[in-house]
Amino acid sequence: MEALILELKKEIIEVLNLEELTPEDINEDAPLFVEGLGLDSIDALELIVLMEKNYGIKLNNAAEGRDIFKSVRIMAEYIAKNRTK
Amino acid sequence: MNINIASYCRLTNHKLEVNDIDIQIQKTEASSLNDIYRHLNLSYPKFFKMDNLSKAGFLASELLLKNIIIDKETPKKDMAIVLMNRSASLDNDRTYQTTIQDENNFFPSPSVFVYTLSNIVNGEIAIRNKIMGESSFYISENFSPEKIYSAVMNTFSDPNINQVICGWVDYEFNECDVLLLLIRKENQEKIPFNVNNIYHLYT
Amino acid sequence: MEKNAWFIMIYQWSNNIISSLGFTTEENYTAVKQGNTGLKYYKNPFDFPEDAMLSLIDDEHLNNAFSSINTKQKTAYTRFEKAAILSVYKALEKTNIDVKSKKVVFILSTTKGNVELLDKKESEFYEAERVYLWRSAQLITSFFDNPNEAIIVSNACISGAAAQITALRLLQQKIYDFAIVIGADVLSKFIISGFQSFKSLSVDICKPFDKNRCGLNLGEAAATIIYSSIENNRPLLSNNIVLLNGAIANDANHISGPSRTGDGLSIAIEKTLQNINIQDIALINAHGTATPYNDDMESMGITANQLENIPINSLKGFLGHTLGAAGVLETILSGVALLDNMLLKSNGSENPETICPLNIVLNNQNSFKTHFLKLLSGFGGCNAAILLKKT
Repeated sequence: MEALILELKKEIIEVLNLEELTPEDINEDAPLFVEGLGLDSIDALELIVLMEKNYGIKLNNAAEGRDIFKSVRIMAEYIAKNRTK
Repeated sequence: MNINIASYCRLTNHKLEVNDIDIQIQKTEASSLNDIYRHLNLSYPKFFKMDNLSKAGFLASELLLKNIIIDKETPKKDMAIVLMNRSASLDNDRTYQTTIQDENNFFPSPSVFVYTLSNIVNGEIAIRNKIMGESSFYISENFSPEKIYSAVMNTFSDPNINQVICGWVDYEFNECDVLLLLIRKENQEKIPFNVNNIYHLYT
Repeated sequence: MEKNAWFIMIYQWSNNIISSLGFTTEENYTAVKQGNTGLKYYKNPFDFPEDAMLSLIDDEHLNNAFSSINTKQKTAYTRFEKAAILSVYKALEKTNIDVKSKKVVFILSTTKGNVELLDKKESEFYEAERVYLWRSAQLITSFFDNPNEAIIVSNACISGAAAQITALRLLQQKIYDFAIVIGADVLSKFIISGFQSFKSLSVDICKPFDKNRCGLNLGEAAATIIYSSIENNRPLLSNNIVLLNGAIANDANHISGPSRTGDGLSIAIEKTLQNINIQDIALINAHGTATPYNDDMESMGITANQLENIPINSLKGFLGHTLGAAGVLETILSGVALLDNMLLKSNGSENPETICPLNIVLNNQNSFKTHFLKLLSGFGGCNAAILLKKT
């Protein structure tokens, strides 16, 4: 799980252009949206693409993503359970 | 009433000049816009999400408006943004195309698609400075001081507009070509806004 | 606009619509008045891997109609260019304008032009320069031997209104005698995939302002309005639509999401309605894309100007969101309807519900009032309003 969390942090930094952050800057239990990293609606859509492209998990809309993208750890746990890649 | 050029910024691959001051920055081919951002010590993480065109226009506007717009929060309803270029958003469009070109690796990117319109650079400048007046974008084969002049004077038809950020913002094939001007209606005569002056600031 | 005793009136001499519902304004209006939609469900349109509900121009019809007017040229034209040229041709046919005159200017409104040529499968058929909007514009003006460079407005989905505002300003200054305003966009894998990546498309016919609305439908069209000018103390020849005023304002909030307060739209409406008696307004033809946020945002901008009781409609349920063509197309249809004393229903809408309640036109109804307001919003936080009246 720790390896997946680290990998996921790197991928999030890359796809969301969080150029000034390193994986160490991201707390895996902190909220991703509203507070914490303060991501927005376009970021949520880009994370949906990330889920499918890297892990083969298809989400149909932003609402589905809301629960999964609560924190990096919650995302990682969901991926571990549902990944097809 | 006079229509003056209150400020200008010229940004190309070889030059960064603001109101006759040459800003020396070590530039490499690959990341020159990011380097300028860091050199300016701006704290605006959204910058890194922008496409090249928006980065170029945004950086030029930061320099253009430095010491002029101090308060970036108060809505400015009397200020317009009127920009022009040759390549629209093609630089970013080509990037977006790479996310959909291959049927077997088809992952359209929303964060890239957002920038497949040239007027998004107007939006980025507006958001940063809370500029709520008219916002327009035109396409022209070549840089044309006459067209810029005409577009700005037409914008002043709106009696609520007293200031216009205008100019040429183009980025394509790693070539950055930006001239931004801040135009103001004022009582005193300063540097007049006219075709000759626009041309001289570009060349 | 200063209120003088004498001023120049800008009016529509002629117009045309090329869309899924037909290749004339009359065909389009008749279809929409009868409640027929041009939206259809397409499987894998333009090689897009999913299905989509779209309003598309019939290719065979377009090619045949274009061939019959393309007598002297040897150039191969793209779909976008054919639609735009054909629309201008048909609008010009109804006039005696000398399109070769320097006093005639083309104003082109488009968001993506020939963007499908970026696809490696398409690009081999045309020169590299063909992806530039100015290149398409040259081909359009030179088809008609017009000597001026076209003015090209690329302002996201408000381009159609922005182009009309440009026409208004140029004609009032008597820089030109006629402005041929063309709004055109064609669909492609590029555009459809992009909107799908936003999860903003509905697979069903869209429901503007409806409580169950869930997204927009894309469409393609070419629409032309030829504007001319006349001093206001001279009579116009027949029933006409006059363009009175227009304004654009920015939300300064988010580059793709509508403002949550409708600030920019509110400012644009307020500027446009200066010195106007709102009792004269028969209709507000909204942007009404049927996304959850857009329609709420419009309801706020409208209400902020005390216009919530005025009948409001959206035509997106008939022709989809036609991007750069929308502002021109929807202005034409709303004007034709008004000359027919008619307000068109908002197809797709059944149970309106927005943050601020609105008076949505659910069935065709009569009105004898004279003015209508056209609203548009677009990516980049831009908003436009234009005001027209019938004479």
